[in-house]
Amino acid sequence: MAAAPLTSPRAATAPILETRGLDIVRGGRLIVHVDRLTIESGEIRVVLGPNGCGKTTMMRALNTLTPSTGEILFKGAPVLTRSDKLALRRQTAAVFQQAYLLATTVRANVETGLRIRGVDAEERHRRAGDALEMLGVAHLADRPRDGLSGGEAQRVSIARALAVDPAIIFLDEPTAALDPPTRRELLADLERIFRELKTSVMWVTHDIGEALAVADRIAFITEGRVRQDGTPDEILTRPASKEVADFLGVDTWIEGEVRDGGDGRLTFVARGGGCLTVEDPRPGPALVCIRPDDVVLFREPPQAVGPERPNSFPATVSGLRPVGRHWRVSLDWEGETVDAVLDRTAQAQLAVKQGDEVWALIDAPLQALPRESPAAL
Amino acid sequence: MHSILQGVWEGLRLIFTGDPQTYEIALRSLEVSTSALAIALLIGVPIGALVGLSQFHGRQFVVASLNTGMGMPRVVVGLVVALFLWRTGPLGFLGIMYTMQAMIIAQVLIATPIVAALCVAALQQLDPGFKLQVTSLGAGRMRTFALLMREIKGPLLAATAAAFGGVIAEVGAVMMVGGNIKGQTEVLTTGIVANVNTGLFGSAIALAVVLLILSFSTNFAMLLLQRRPKRQAG
Repeated sequence: MAAAPLTSPRAATAPILETRGLDIVRGGRLIVHVDRLTIESGEIRVVLGPNGCGKTTMMRALNTLTPSTGEILFKGAPVLTRSDKLALRRQTAAVFQQAYLLATTVRANVETGLRIRGVDAEERHRRAGDALEMLGVAHLADRPRDGLSGGEAQRVSIARALAVDPAIIFLDEPTAALDPPTRRELLADLERIFRELKTSVMWVTHDIGEALAVADRIAFITEGRVRQDGTPDEILTRPASKEVADFLGVDTWIEGEVRDGGDGRLTFVARGGGCLTVEDPRPGPALVCIRPDDVVLFREPPQAVGPERPNSFPATVSGLRPVGRHWRVSLDWEGETVDAVLDRTAQAQLAVKQGDEVWALIDAPLQALPRESPAAL
Repeated sequence: MHSILQGVWEGLRLIFTGDPQTYEIALRSLEVSTSALAIALLIGVPIGALVGLSQFHGRQFVVASLNTGMGMPRVVVGLVVALFLWRTGPLGFLGIMYTMQAMIIAQVLIATPIVAALCVAALQQLDPGFKLQVTSLGAGRMRTFALLMREIKGPLLAATAAAFGGVIAEVGAVMMVGGNIKGQTEVLTTGIVANVNTGLFGSAIALAVVLLILSFSTNFAMLLLQRRPKRQAG
């Protein structure tokens, strides 16, 4: 698979932030190593990974809040000295999981960054007002920090970051401490605001839904290493490894081998003998992942109701259980178990029961991952 | 029993008739202890902030030393100051033994570790995220220090009260280096000791009541100042 650096369609010039060979060592142990990572101007760059994978530490290193070795280039210039670092922090802003509002009024909080930058009182007042307005919390301006709700406090914290008109805004799990409705509202507002202002954003999260909703590009990290870097679509349709796919919620894994299927073309042949057409096949032992929501079920062969499609096969329903508003269907196909998801409407039409014979169509391109290499990067 | 009642009566009479000697001693006590407290804050808060906010080799040792200093027997402090200020001591040329300056120095040495140690403790209690947030806002060292001090305002007030309580009620060190000279270095605590020694219970009780009122009002004022809720919702 091509590992060439990906550029955002919105990127105009050099990356606003770039790191090469970034190493973070704690207690004598290398906890983060990044070969190369970029934030293009105006993009929302998500760093996704499970808790404890080092993504927060990496973000802090890029914001020069924690020591690291390796190269950091801000607007093309290396960040080396103490004053380079301060200059970087004076042109960027960060928001953490907690709002960390200071013991003063909302307005004074939002003005803090501007005050540090020596902006005069009138200008401070105007910019703080604008930022509070943008986040929908202008009515709280004169309130003390105590007594704000979690969502309000976080909006004030984001307003404080935006008030300095940062070249990059670093967000560390900004919605993780909020309850679901508050979180959804804030997410929607943030994406809208960042798009409007064309803000460059580095957004750290462990939430795949959040990542897919806002990202231009996603760097997927585990154990301090970037395992895959690409657009949400690329990550979703072509996970670089089982690890990435597991995190994305892929449940079906089929072991087998890519070989000549008998017609001169390379095909993935499962252990049970079933064949699947995969993209960019390379001979050898391989794994194929199938996302349950890519599996469509039919009572008749799909060819009978539509054009010829690859990767459709008859299967037996071996299990059926409700999951929230959906049904999780387990299919037996040539000795392999393939999971599918049916929404309520589909189940109302199909009325699938255990033991039924159905047709499954995998409605997405399939990727065969070579079994020996754990990750593409 | 009779003499106790008589003593209390005499004490109250001295206070309410505005006995000049009682008030002179009380004012001198306040002067010595507030001067010492002010100096202790000027030295102790920066030390506390430095130790509380930075990581360096031997930091644990410094913290342990400050905590020890907090509980240092006051008589020992008095002895050390006396040794230094004694006519033949290293600082004997200053000629300030048995003066208010000597008492202030002793009290500074008592109050500074209290202020510094409680400041370190307060900064350790503060969520490290605050430092990170303030740094990310572009604050340099001094600004970070100033902004974080505001976050620990409550505990700092408590530290101030503790240090003041520690020095105003202290007797051993000021006795040793001040000498309890009437009209010059006599303060509330040493005055009580001297009056009891000479059987002047009325004067001793008057000074004790003033001392209690001073201690109580300081602590009560501090309590009022830090009553504001500190916690943040969410």
